[in-house]
Amino acid sequence: MHLSRPRIGLRAVAGVAAAALAMLLGGTAAQAAPAPASQPAAVVQAKLPAVAPADLGGKKFTIATDTTFAPFEFRDTSSGDLVGIDMDILRAIAKDQNFQVDIQSLGFQAALSAVTSGQADGVIAGMSITDERKKIFDFSDPYFESGVQMAIAASNDTIKGYEDLKGQTVVAKSGSEGLAEAQKLAAQYGFTVKALDQSATMYESVKNQSAVAVFDDYPVLAYGIAQGNGLKVVTDKIPGGQYGFAVAKGKNAELLAAFNDGLANLKASGEYQRILDQYLNPQAASSGNIFQLAADSWPALSKGLWNTIVITLVAFVIALALGLIFGFMKVSTSRVLRGIATVYVAIFRGTPILVWAFLFYFGLPQITGVKGDIFWAGVATLALNSGAYLTEIVRGGLQSVDPGQMEASRSLGLGWGKSMQRVVVPQAVKISTPSIINQLVITLKDSSLLLTIGFAELLYQAQQIYAANFRTTEMLIIVGVIYFIVITLLTWLANYVDKKVNK
Amino acid sequence: MSAQTVTETAPVIDVVGLRKSFGSNEVLKGIDLSVTAGEVISLIGPSGSGKSTILRCLNRLEDPTSGTVRVAGFDLTDPKVDINEVRRHVGMVFQHFNLFPNMSVIENVMLAPVETKKRSKDEARKQALGLLERVGLAEKADARPSQLSGGQKQRVAIARALAMEPGIMLFDEATSALDPEMVGEVLEVIRELAQTGITMVLVTHEMGFAREVCDRVVFMADGVVCEEGAPEQLFGNPQTPRLQEFLSKVL
Repeated sequence: MHLSRPRIGLRAVAGVAAAALAMLLGGTAAQAAPAPASQPAAVVQAKLPAVAPADLGGKKFTIATDTTFAPFEFRDTSSGDLVGIDMDILRAIAKDQNFQVDIQSLGFQAALSAVTSGQADGVIAGMSITDERKKIFDFSDPYFESGVQMAIAASNDTIKGYEDLKGQTVVAKSGSEGLAEAQKLAAQYGFTVKALDQSATMYESVKNQSAVAVFDDYPVLAYGIAQGNGLKVVTDKIPGGQYGFAVAKGKNAELLAAFNDGLANLKASGEYQRILDQYLNPQAASSGNIFQLAADSWPALSKGLWNTIVITLVAFVIALALGLIFGFMKVSTSRVLRGIATVYVAIFRGTPILVWAFLFYFGLPQITGVKGDIFWAGVATLALNSGAYLTEIVRGGLQSVDPGQMEASRSLGLGWGKSMQRVVVPQAVKISTPSIINQLVITLKDSSLLLTIGFAELLYQAQQIYAANFRTTEMLIIVGVIYFIVITLLTWLANYVDKKVNK
Repeated sequence: MSAQTVTETAPVIDVVGLRKSFGSNEVLKGIDLSVTAGEVISLIGPSGSGKSTILRCLNRLEDPTSGTVRVAGFDLTDPKVDINEVRRHVGMVFQHFNLFPNMSVIENVMLAPVETKKRSKDEARKQALGLLERVGLAEKADARPSQLSGGQKQRVAIARALAMEPGIMLFDEATSALDPEMVGEVLEVIRELAQTGITMVLVTHEMGFAREVCDRVVFMADGVVCEEGAPEQLFGNPQTPRLQEFLSKVL
């Protein structure tokens, strides 16, 4: 299976984030210089190094990229490192021009947001140079000539060219150049075009013959075929877009110039062609059974698992504190405190986790001007969400303790607080423990949603791997098993502690 | 004013014009009640007559709607009164025991003296063992409440209330939730307690017990005190038709 850009329901979220961004950015687009002027400017800068020394003195730049867009950026299955055409070119240029890069793998939409919000200095993410984008970004010289190509099932011997498509159905990705090209040809050759949202769905529908062909980006197809995704090409590529490295409009001119100089040097030295060949004409597809795959993937997956566990536990401790505070407010006699707690629960129980993840990581930094930290954005997201559910669990626990317990304690002369502490809360905790354990498990599973902002948790790492090796089903089974084992162990541990503490 | 200044003859409980409503439902319609130190009285009457509500107003588990309630020298209707201090002078035993299931038997008894800083843990333990001995349950000190029978639970609850050494004890239908064969053991403990000179107010349905143990019996109906007097007089020669009717049903 081929998943060039795996995003679980991300399109909609990205849309929300983009809309929010557009609002937050305010007049950025309006300030943009006339589009055609920007690229020549970059080209002029590219010619400069002949006079200016091509050396940035080891300066460090933060470069944002997509999470996985093979063959431009993806995680190497065994090392877990980010590799690909973009990554190799960027690193080679950095070496050539003597600067350092801190690569942030965020996802495509997120990478663009990071640059416009100033969280990153530049973006390289298989990004087509378009007039629309030139209003917001300054682009480098094109470093890759893309285009669209048609692919058919490897077993299909009847389709030899577009003329054989007459009366058939082909698929392409919604909103992509592939779709536009296919639609142009459709009228001429008499076939039907169906738009699909996900690459994986497209390739699967060709393999299961519900469509005869797929129109997709040439590099993505070429790489997938080389990895053995079960497709083949029979026609030439239709020349199309060019990919460019970009910085925020009017910013980081020095970095942009260095990129152009370095690119020219790579092309001259042959290093550029060597990098392309490595990815677009690769030799061997990944092999081995699922156990071999699991073993090979373990270094990357274990990193993700560690991140999953750490963020879950940190967020859950905070969520417990929130749950206690708001839970007590919910049972208090003060109408105001009850109101505050009710509003808190309503907001965080009534909104998706993804919305908060995007707001905390991308929205907040633009309001405050402080660079966001992905870990703490993730912690805040999970803690506030889980805290809302724990508030209800705590409230339920407190209210399920017989009121006679409070009366008996108060009648002995103990105050409300002491009575809560010594009599009511211990019983409420005992009653609530199963629900609290349940919430912990839910929080652990919900932490996988943080992959959408590029937090390198377990599922994210798995996606990185299967996007590169196309063994989607097996990888999902492997992470499924890992989640299952971890959650089972966690539940056992929690029940054990429960038995020890709540006798 | 504190409990110590109360003299033997002055009333330790003095209720005047007590009214209590729950929403639009008036449960107590002007109660006057006075109890002197060392007196043992019982409140009897049909269900819903307001007996338990009076008792709960005496340690302010219910806030009076109007009227004054003076207990152990404190004015309970004064908003500035330290209600926790008042309650340390007034022990209460509930129909459903309300033992704390998250503690052992002895911890139940020790809780209040330790938490109110009246005693150190060691002293409290010694005292608690003495009290459990008194109710015949010293050997259950380390058991959990769930391991006890109903009668045993109520005896522990009495020991727990006594741990603060209150001058006044309130019993709210202490035997109503018990199986018949366990009623005796609890009444026995209350009987012994009545002989120690402690002031007691009992809400009870045990007419025989009220007659035998109490100095005075108060009959209530429909939120008012209908008739009161010495047990022999009340049970032997009831004056009001309401009491006559009640006694004919329960005796």
